[in-house]
Amino acid sequence: MAVMHEMLSNNAFATMNRLEKGEEGVVYAVPDVRLLASLGIRSGKRVRVLAKSFASGPVIVDIERRSVVVDRSLAAQITIRK
Amino acid sequence: MSCATTKSRDTKHKKILLMGLPNVGKSAIFSRFTGMHVMVSNYTGTTVEFTEGKMAVGDDTYTLIDVPGVYDIKQSVDDAERVAVSMLEEKPDAIVFVVDALNVESSVYLLMQVLEYKLPTVVALNRVDLLKVRSMRIDHRVIQAALNVPVVPTIALGGDSLDLVKERLARDLASPDAPHYVLEENELKRWDWVERITARALKPLSDNATIRQDRFAFLIRPWPGLPIAIGVLFLMFAAVIGIGMGLRQFLIMPLFEGIRIGEHTVGLFPWIRAGVEALGITGTFQRVLVGEYGFLIKGIEWPFGLVLPYVLSFYLSMSILEDTGYLPRLAVLLDGVFKKIGLPGNTIIPLLLGYGCGIPAILSTRSMRSRKQRVAVAVMISLAVPCVAQSSAFMFLLVEHSLLALVLVFMISVFAMVLAGFVMDRIKREPMPLTLTELPEMLAPNPALVGKKLLFRVRHYVKDGAIPMVIAIVVTAFLYEFGILDVAGRAMAPVVSGWLRLPEEAATPLIIGIVRRELAVLPLIDMNLSTVQLFTGAVVALFYVPCVAMIATLAKEFNAKVAVGTLLFTTTTAIVIGGLMARLGGLLATWLG
Repeated sequence: MAVMHEMLSNNAFATMNRLEKGEEGVVYAVPDVRLLASLGIRSGKRVRVLAKSFASGPVIVDIERRSVVVDRSLAAQITIRK
Repeated sequence: MSCATTKSRDTKHKKILLMGLPNVGKSAIFSRFTGMHVMVSNYTGTTVEFTEGKMAVGDDTYTLIDVPGVYDIKQSVDDAERVAVSMLEEKPDAIVFVVDALNVESSVYLLMQVLEYKLPTVVALNRVDLLKVRSMRIDHRVIQAALNVPVVPTIALGGDSLDLVKERLARDLASPDAPHYVLEENELKRWDWVERITARALKPLSDNATIRQDRFAFLIRPWPGLPIAIGVLFLMFAAVIGIGMGLRQFLIMPLFEGIRIGEHTVGLFPWIRAGVEALGITGTFQRVLVGEYGFLIKGIEWPFGLVLPYVLSFYLSMSILEDTGYLPRLAVLLDGVFKKIGLPGNTIIPLLLGYGCGIPAILSTRSMRSRKQRVAVAVMISLAVPCVAQSSAFMFLLVEHSLLALVLVFMISVFAMVLAGFVMDRIKREPMPLTLTELPEMLAPNPALVGKKLLFRVRHYVKDGAIPMVIAIVVTAFLYEFGILDVAGRAMAPVVSGWLRLPEEAATPLIIGIVRRELAVLPLIDMNLSTVQLFTGAVVALFYVPCVAMIATLAKEFNAKVAVGTLLFTTTTAIVIGGLMARLGGLLATWLG
């Protein structure tokens, strides 16, 4: 947890929900949620935020030309290296 | 809702499974192979139950099974995945596996899981044509060599590439040869392996081609996504009304009511009236045939003159919208808002379908994971979403008297829907399932496909909508002419006249409205009602019994408790709100002078 905290306070890392529209990064750590891997959200993959839906709606990211829709609360558990 | 047999298992013939990720064209391939119609849409989860049909391969006939699309069968959690696994465990004779050219990585990953069952498999590498949009091409031989399984590039929606799949299948079934491939037990390593294969198979069209990202992401951003959503829905509404009214006024009604040619009126109804007269039928029987509820006139005019034009215009618009891939984007745009009432954004799809017919709308909730959510959406549709038949009846009833009343009825419908959703969410709180999905490609609708879908839905309307309507009208004609409806009217007077402030005869729509939603509206047309009474009648009809077929669907999809509960809830709401509206409308009318 301490390591995680240090990583996030270091500007090189952010959780996916913190990225702004148009921002890019590489997936660093993902929670153990099924379908994430199948949808392409695996560590090492480059993602780019296409849109953030309003009213705390999902984050839509581009992963190798796929548009993947990720719940805002799930995006908060995905660490991205900017 | 499909003419293909569902669930009744065929044990005579040998079996072939059709498998792959969701929304990769399995149902389109199924239709081409079997010649049967299956609902095909450009969004995930159109096929939830499996569908089977006959398919000739070589000299043999096989049963082809359209298995619902899944991403992963290792940890089968939801219904679709369990169905897929149990079908594989029954050892089918062969598998046609559809790899999506737009999503090779996840397709190949699932393909590896399927190949572990060691069954003869032919791979259809589908949608190769769409790779051009992404400035990419694919070498199918890379996958073929890596997994030692035959791979045929296909375009399911056109061309004859599917014949090659069949030929290959015929050869494999003649000499089954189990595939052997690199088995990577560690999941992470397996993804690495799949990534390497994918990288080798996919090539940019030219060296300087840049791979474009989703150009339609703006549809999901609040700006300009929200105004566009309002625009699209408004455009759809306008198209449904415009095309529907046009068809009715310029095509169908001239055919029915007739056009004057010289001294003669040439048309269906004048002929029927003349025919009945020529046969010397008089008195009560004449009236049963061509009188107030004369079924030779109303039995044709209501289902085909009033409702059919709007069935055509609604399903034309809906089928086009479904094929573009816009609906899942609308669902994502509204996801945050819908979550406020405990429902996912894709609830918008069953709700929109409900404006066509409630039955396919309720069936389409099968792709939702939570039962509580399914019931909530079904109740919302049963209570407050008027089907296309009822909406066209509203239009016919109100458009000339008061456009304001018509708009108010639809506004009340939306308001009640939201309120019902909100209340049900408060009654029973449940953690929201996480939204996690991918968006389909935005595509230009294929006119042939839209035409097929429209034809299928219109045929469905005639069979399951128009025919029951005609039967109900025949029964009504007899009950009316033999004075039975009068008796019922007097019995129901306290409610109908006392509380709802409608004439006694308005008991008729309440009685026959149990059978079909629009029949709770149509008899009001000829009663010379005031605007307030028309409005009251429309509001009662909106919330009233959602038709026999829908109650049966609720009982079948959920249980008798849900069906009876919905029936009581909607009917009570209808009477209570109707009475309030009669008083409120009365006040408003005197106030406005």
